[in-house]
Amino acid sequence: MRTFLGSLTAVLLLVTACGNGSGTAGDTGPIKIGASLPLSGPVADASEPAYAGYKVWLDRLNRGGGLLGRPVELKVLDDGFDQNAVISNYNRLIGQEKVDLLLGTFSSKLNLPASTVAERHKMLYVEPSGGATEIFERGYEYLFFAQPSTSVDLPEQFVAWVKSLPPEKRPATAAYPTQDDPNTDVAIEAFAKELGALGVRPVYSQEYAPETTNFDTIAAAIAAARPDLIVHGAVSADGAGLIKALQKQGFSPKILFQTNSPSVVSSFPEAVGPANTEGILTSVAWSPATPYPGNAEFVADYTKAYGRPPTDDAANAYTAGQVLEAAVKAVGSLDQRKLADWLHANTVQTIVGPLKWDERGVPDGDMLLAQWQRGELEIVAPESARTGGPVITPKPAWAS
Amino acid sequence: MTGLAQTLAFGVLVGGVYALAASAMNLIFGVMRIVNLAQGAMLMLGAYLAYSLWRATGLDPLLLTLVTAPALLAVGWVTYYLFVERARTTDPPTALVTTFGLALITTGVIALIWGNEWRLAGPGYAGRSFTVAGLHLPQAQVYACLVAAVVLGGLWLVLNRTWLGRSVRAVAAGPEGARLVGIDVRRVWAASYALGVAAAGAGGALLSVLYPFTPSSGYHWIGLMLSIVVLGGMGSMAGSVLGAVLVAVGEALTSAYLSPGWATAVPYLVIVIVLLARPQGLLGARLREDMSRA
Repeated sequence: MRTFLGSLTAVLLLVTACGNGSGTAGDTGPIKIGASLPLSGPVADASEPAYAGYKVWLDRLNRGGGLLGRPVELKVLDDGFDQNAVISNYNRLIGQEKVDLLLGTFSSKLNLPASTVAERHKMLYVEPSGGATEIFERGYEYLFFAQPSTSVDLPEQFVAWVKSLPPEKRPATAAYPTQDDPNTDVAIEAFAKELGALGVRPVYSQEYAPETTNFDTIAAAIAAARPDLIVHGAVSADGAGLIKALQKQGFSPKILFQTNSPSVVSSFPEAVGPANTEGILTSVAWSPATPYPGNAEFVADYTKAYGRPPTDDAANAYTAGQVLEAAVKAVGSLDQRKLADWLHANTVQTIVGPLKWDERGVPDGDMLLAQWQRGELEIVAPESARTGGPVITPKPAWAS
Repeated sequence: MTGLAQTLAFGVLVGGVYALAASAMNLIFGVMRIVNLAQGAMLMLGAYLAYSLWRATGLDPLLLTLVTAPALLAVGWVTYYLFVERARTTDPPTALVTTFGLALITTGVIALIWGNEWRLAGPGYAGRSFTVAGLHLPQAQVYACLVAAVVLGGLWLVLNRTWLGRSVRAVAAGPEGARLVGIDVRRVWAASYALGVAAAGAGGALLSVLYPFTPSSGYHWIGLMLSIVVLGGMGSMAGSVLGAVLVAVGEALTSAYLSPGWATAVPYLVIVIVLLARPQGLLGARLREDMSRA
């Protein structure tokens, strides 16, 4: 009997040691981190820098000795911006690849199902993107967002700026075209509500499908309504698509705010024409100029590795890595429950500033308001993070 | 009223480009009975080639159809003998899967060469419009529609005024009969496929000016082209032109008067309705499959 109990104990110990998410510092093999990214498909342009951001974080981590004294490996699968593929990828990472830790994918559309897979397996899920409100309203305990705030808070800095304008300079009317996307839907709804409270009257409000490439009829309807302000819920190339269509209509609003697209600095200026970027506003989570610890090192490492400065998406991925790293180092093990509990109770210093989360995994920080000024995407609010001049208003007419 | 006229004008102008893209796919189907799922990827290859040449030389991307069409003709010829010919001699599902595989490979190669960032060629007129009777006619759309008409006209001349065209039509009517009168059917199939891909190359150059594109944008165009081909009639070039204008106008009207959110659903609704109500399409002939293949 004693032999049987001894064997049982040995088996249980072995199972515990090999079990998912319960490794200890005593293990010597590499720690495996798994993630899925839309490296192909319509948002591949944004996820490539994100992948690079993950890799820059991983290189720095391994240069510093890895995690728990072990080297760290990153396994990334391509989901092609497909919800079924992202579910399959995270199931594979957890079930077949037996990864020790997870990092999130990109966009609200993908993080919505991916976070469910992680939660079902009780694995920590730090997402670099995906700020839609519905992601955080499901009572998940292992989910954390690695940007300063979610989509519902996106208007904060912009609305504060509008509020600061003298009444005669405030926009009287606004158009709200938006892609049908869980992130932009929420953000545009919040914009309309908060600007409405300031007396800005909506004159156009329509959703379009993600596959939309032809914006001529949308631009014609907006031009006919002649709004002072356009707040565009753009996700990727649709930002440039609407701008080109507005140019063809000969209509330039006094103020143009777009989500996401203007921060893709590698393709946005060329697609709309460099001179046409002047005055376009957007929200970003990060700035290369902010003096948060590790930010300058991140910019230098990234630029050295890829020959160009990092983007907002790259920084968000790097931040997600920092959050994961901080939790593992503080807890001293890969116990997923303890990692989640620690993140719920502590603040993490990151390159986007200190992040602290509520019980939903929602951080309590602020996004930055950015504007294209003289060919550069500059931070214009809050004042403490400003890198550019005062907000350019009204936006200059289209150059061509 | 101006709003309706403006919407119709948008639809007709875009319809010209749709017609070129769909005619290319229909040519291949009409002759070979293959639904070429790689056509969207070939459109994108044409778009990226035109974009790169425009960047490198400053030449007008629409004029660069003179380069992209022959380049894609060569691509079509090579890919036909490497992949498509073997698949088409087996069964239709194999050919379908093969062309889908070709689409995946082409999309991957485009991403490797040009990256995944979205691109848009921006010649000086890209943001300008003609104003006629209060209507805004985007210059890029007008020029693209004219170039599409010229390419389609050229294709019509090739198919109706040359020996190659007669051979193509003979093979489309019945490969066995064509073989009996001395036509090298294998070469005609290769030429038809290459011509279809070349037309996609020309269409890609037009798209490079009109809409931002990424390597995977081609998948969106497959659904659109299929719906036009089904509406116009599979194998009917005139049907493709008519179907393209109707789909484009349908999209524009839906976007303007219903919701932009429904505009991209129009092509798929068209497929369902046509298959239920008139399976042969508007201008397609209803043939007994056993007789037509005899």
